[in-house]
Amino acid sequence: MRAPRFAFFVLIVLIAIAPTILHYPDLLALALIFGLLAAAFNLLLGELGFLSFGQAVFNGLGAYATGLLLVHVAHVPILLALLAAAACSAAGAAIVGLLASQGAGVYAVMLTFAFNELAYYLAFQLRGVTGGDNGLRGILRPTFFGLDLSNDVAYYYFTAAVFALVFYALLRILDAPFGYVLRAIRENEGRARAIGYDTRRFKVAAFVVSGAITGIGGALYAMLYGFVPLEVVDFTTSTNIVVMGILGGIGSPYGAIAGAAIFTLLSDRLSHVWSHWPLLLGVLFCTVVMVLRGGAVELVRFRGLGVTKRA
Amino acid sequence: MEPSLVAIEILNGIVLGVIYALVAAGLTLIFGMLDIPNFAHGAFYALGAYVAYTAMTHAGFPLALVAAPLVVGGVGVVIDALFIRRLARAGHTYQILFTLGLVLIVQEGIAIVWGPDPLSVEIPHALTGGIALGFISFPYYRLFLVAVAALLIALVWLVLEGTKLGAIIRAGIEDPEMVDAIGYDVQRLFTIVFGAGVGLAAIAGALVLPLRGGQPAMGNELNALSFVVVVIGGLGSFAGAVVGGILVGLVQSLMSIVFPAADEVAIFVAMAVVLLLRPQGLFGRR
Repeated sequence: MRAPRFAFFVLIVLIAIAPTILHYPDLLALALIFGLLAAAFNLLLGELGFLSFGQAVFNGLGAYATGLLLVHVAHVPILLALLAAAACSAAGAAIVGLLASQGAGVYAVMLTFAFNELAYYLAFQLRGVTGGDNGLRGILRPTFFGLDLSNDVAYYYFTAAVFALVFYALLRILDAPFGYVLRAIRENEGRARAIGYDTRRFKVAAFVVSGAITGIGGALYAMLYGFVPLEVVDFTTSTNIVVMGILGGIGSPYGAIAGAAIFTLLSDRLSHVWSHWPLLLGVLFCTVVMVLRGGAVELVRFRGLGVTKRA
Repeated sequence: MEPSLVAIEILNGIVLGVIYALVAAGLTLIFGMLDIPNFAHGAFYALGAYVAYTAMTHAGFPLALVAAPLVVGGVGVVIDALFIRRLARAGHTYQILFTLGLVLIVQEGIAIVWGPDPLSVEIPHALTGGIALGFISFPYYRLFLVAVAALLIALVWLVLEGTKLGAIIRAGIEDPEMVDAIGYDVQRLFTIVFGAGVGLAAIAGALVLPLRGGQPAMGNELNALSFVVVVIGGLGSFAGAVVGGILVGLVQSLMSIVFPAADEVAIFVAMAVVLLLRPQGLFGRR
């Protein structure tokens, strides 16, 4: 984890100067938010080896928690709104993780999928709370210690600050003994259990961390658009998160960020030019899976830019 | 609740269930037997409907029912031989991811070739009208659909259980190296089984086309449901896929009169319960 410190520094510089290169602060903020979602997904797939098809559940929990808080309660501090989102999503993730880690392989994947369907159904039916398919409207961005965030550039930098903090925390978690245990479970769960780790507990804990990060992403999303559409819990969102997490490479948190940036910018820029751009995305995605397991980050690594893939 | 309404929903549930059973039978070959979690199964079903649409406008409906499984099954054979077989050693996760990418490609490919707007197709002339059953009437086309699907399922089962080819396939799944050593090309055999599974999804798409029309994303719902059916029925169990399919169709159909808001989610809750309480499925061994 010594070398990636440099990578982290490069990433922060890139994020800081991005709005001067690309003049779409809302799109850039979305890329960072998706980066958090992809990194959280990648924590489960890359470290634990668990393919989650239900990340939209945690995204939705965070978005609705923040949205409801800001719509119904006056003068909520923005940090409290983020914390509430993280807590709600972490709680949801604990339940999903507890149940899904009972299954193995494809069965576990199907369980996360079933929970996604259930969450979508609930969000759709509870119109009085979530607004159903009309979405939850009228969310106003709070100020941040007196700082007005209604301006998109200001909100971008707020998002960037939250992103940097959360991403740094994630890197530290991966480098801590906790991260090593997750990788041990991925490589050989029986062996990890044999040397004394309660692997189920670690799996649930990984879900909780992934859920909390995803929830913060959902909260930032709700405040970015002032609106929570039903799509936040849609299965399509889950598969989009999978696509973003893979595009940049499995097993690297930086890869997840790269994947999210590629996905967000391509889908926005390219969809104007060519409406069938998902075809290109599909080809790119399959290519990564077939030949470039390390994803885009592996290409960079070949050039020796110091972005290392974790073992 | 009117008894005629219940009777109609039961009949509709059987029709729906037979379609699910047919698609799930294909998935059982691919996922249950070959152990490839093919998430593009629904996309092949959609492709089958669209190929049938083109064949239908040029050569009529009977030929479309032959063309759809042959063309799409052929596509499946090529994809398996070129890509999926090479991912076998990388494990389930990579296979799921690759087939997920295929869904994007197939879905968008359909939109490029046939356009993004929904298709609607008339029921073939010879099969219009219906059979009178007391105070309700049952359309001939649905009867035809059930008959064709039942025939196909029986055929696949007979080939698997009653022929030498079926014996070789089952032996190859049990112990590929041994069957290879006896002199059969197991990999080629598996590729053909993959193509057959894809073909079953494609012909289901062709059969559904006159009933529900077509749309590029039509496979997504069915893909999810066929996995649900295979999981509920028991992985690798052919009978489980068939019974599970009809069961899911019936539940969905009856829920639509009892509690329509939950007809979709009830199926997924059922799957989650089965997975948590009886992970091997209703018909699964072990």
